[in-house]
Amino acid sequence: MQPLPQALPAPGPGGPRPAAPLLALLLLLALRGSAAAPAGSEGPQGSAAAPEGPQDSAWQRDSELPHGLLQRAARAALHFFNFRAGSPSALRGLAAVQQGRAWINSKKECQVDLEFTTEHYNPEEGEERLGKCSAQVFFKNEKPRPTINVTCTRFMEKSKRQQEDYLLYKHMKQLKDPLDVISIPDSHGHIDPSLRPIWDLAFLGSSYVMWEKTTQFLHYYMAQLSSVKQWKTDEDAIDFDYTVLLHEFSTQEIIPCRIHLVWHPSKPLKVKYHCQGPQAPEEASGIEEGSAAAPTTGLTNY
Amino acid sequence: MQGLLIFSLLLGAVLGKEDFVGHQVLRISVADEAQVQKVTELEDLEHLQLDFWRGPAQPGSPIDVRVPFPSLQAVKVFLEAHGIEYTIMIEDVQSLLDEEEEQMFAFQARAASTDTFNYATYHTLDEIYGFMDMLVAEHPQLVSKLQIGKTYEGRPIYVLKFSTGGNNRPAIWIDTGIHSREWVTQASGIWFAKKITQDYGQNPAFTAILDKMDIFLEIVTNPDGFAFTHSKNRLWRKTRSITAGSSCVGVDPNRNWDAGFGKAGASSNPCSETYHGKFANSETEVKSIVDFVKSHGNIKAFISIHSYSQLLLYPYGYTTDPAQDQAELDELAKSAVTALASLYGTKFKYGSIIKAIYRASGGTIDWTYNQGIKYSYTFELRDTGRYGFLLPASQIVPTAQETWLALQTIMDHTLKHPY
Repeated sequence: MQPLPQALPAPGPGGPRPAAPLLALLLLLALRGSAAAPAGSEGPQGSAAAPEGPQDSAWQRDSELPHGLLQRAARAALHFFNFRAGSPSALRGLAAVQQGRAWINSKKECQVDLEFTTEHYNPEEGEERLGKCSAQVFFKNEKPRPTINVTCTRFMEKSKRQQEDYLLYKHMKQLKDPLDVISIPDSHGHIDPSLRPIWDLAFLGSSYVMWEKTTQFLHYYMAQLSSVKQWKTDEDAIDFDYTVLLHEFSTQEIIPCRIHLVWHPSKPLKVKYHCQGPQAPEEASGIEEGSAAAPTTGLTNY
Repeated sequence: MQGLLIFSLLLGAVLGKEDFVGHQVLRISVADEAQVQKVTELEDLEHLQLDFWRGPAQPGSPIDVRVPFPSLQAVKVFLEAHGIEYTIMIEDVQSLLDEEEEQMFAFQARAASTDTFNYATYHTLDEIYGFMDMLVAEHPQLVSKLQIGKTYEGRPIYVLKFSTGGNNRPAIWIDTGIHSREWVTQASGIWFAKKITQDYGQNPAFTAILDKMDIFLEIVTNPDGFAFTHSKNRLWRKTRSITAGSSCVGVDPNRNWDAGFGKAGASSNPCSETYHGKFANSETEVKSIVDFVKSHGNIKAFISIHSYSQLLLYPYGYTTDPAQDQAELDELAKSAVTALASLYGTKFKYGSIIKAIYRASGGTIDWTYNQGIKYSYTFELRDTGRYGFLLPASQIVPTAQETWLALQTIMDHTLKHPY
């Protein structure tokens, strides 16, 4: 079958095709393993011709990209990618956005097509390898959980990645009960090397949360692992219950989230979470400060 | 938790002259309710002088207890007789305390001079204020300390003035730490202060600047917030002022200036991180600077330093209207980030606030620019989100070094383009 530059399996939503996002989701589930596609993969995303975006005439090419939209889309795609890969030793961070286009429709839904480079989240000494990804990110109007289709070049051999994950897994099983660990990193940005795997696993779980919460106006960083509620390694999988502080950039709010994940190398990650909504104002001076949170509607994106 | 207990023991040791030689900390595992009872009985035997760090609760919960040397034998025999399992968590409490004491006091030892001061670590407010006094004492001809006001909670607000003479020379203003959680900025401010005293008379380009212009450096622009990041909440951003009618605390000092105050780009919700306050300059931390700038009247460049994002920004944030001097500001920003990148390759983007980061009203440099201070810039230092506000201390000096190159570029341009 001839690959068509614009035959994007990703959503082309808008009036006549409401089922497209669902289809895309199904495709994504089916493509779960494609996260480690070999370099130079062909197919719609890999073609040389610039994708033309949704064919539906309800879409307008967004020439005045709100600044940072491409970055936000890239980060959302990466959060999704990291979550799907389920591999704490092969986490990726954003290096640079190379090119991107956006389309917006009358319902203010926004589709972004982009290409970006990635780097290893935990680079080894002198490691400079960059990975490359292309993604379609579909933002619903100010609603979270963007639909994402992302393909990345592989920068770690699958067997090596599995090996590293398994090493991490063994290390985690040997960790003494870290329940009294609070704050990773500490105030000075320091992470004890022995606790690094906990951070990586926490970040992996947080990736799921950050993906789900991202909209075209809101994007997140993981500021701190603030406490470990439970760390169970006696069964097969690692059962990890913890709280993180997410930093939402446009509102500058700090959002505490309780996350519970179950991880085993080479099995899909299971994550449940609950983030704090708009905070009740503090009652007394003894209470841990958290800032109030969710942006109210009606605020312009800032 | 354990650290805290050790510390209080240490304090006790130092103050109460107690000694813990031979004391051990046992971790007792109780298998059932009966065993919990037995250990509780132990608790009641006062002559044993047991100190429960984690008291008996229920089966499955470990019990930690410090046992003085004279009671060790008795306690162990008791536990063994009743088949209660235990392990020795700390073999000798005193030697652990000795070790920690060394570490702790080494860490906190006051530097005797700005040459022995540790620039590669984060400091407390007291330490920074101490540093300032040392610097002034070491370079009385060059550096003086001004108090420009007091914080909401009554702390003094200090600015360092670097001057080689003259009378109200054209000046450059630099502030760091207006958002208290952005720790790399205050830490860089300290480094800048030292750097100025080192480079004057040594670096020709910089000497030329300071021979003609003064530099004002406010290292801790939000002292109340900064103290709070040490004592209670490392991620606190705002001031600590109480808002009447709300139980939320603090105003965003970078939304409180009289430039587009209250417009889109700030929040009217006191619980929000970008709460603009009840009126412009409501915050004394902001008002102090406003008063200073107005009464000085000859500031030619104003640079406010934040983190994180790696951006160099110029006005405006509250409107999409371009600044009148946009072209020049853009050109200079480009040179500055090029200089910055030359050291470690750190990439900065640049542009107007509203385009490069987000709409923000009531911001510092929008106000200073509208006052006629043409070279008004905001920096967002390292990193781009990997560590964010919790930037490892090892990155303080490299960050300060590269930022200094950008600052020099701006200062140099200001010197050569008087207006």
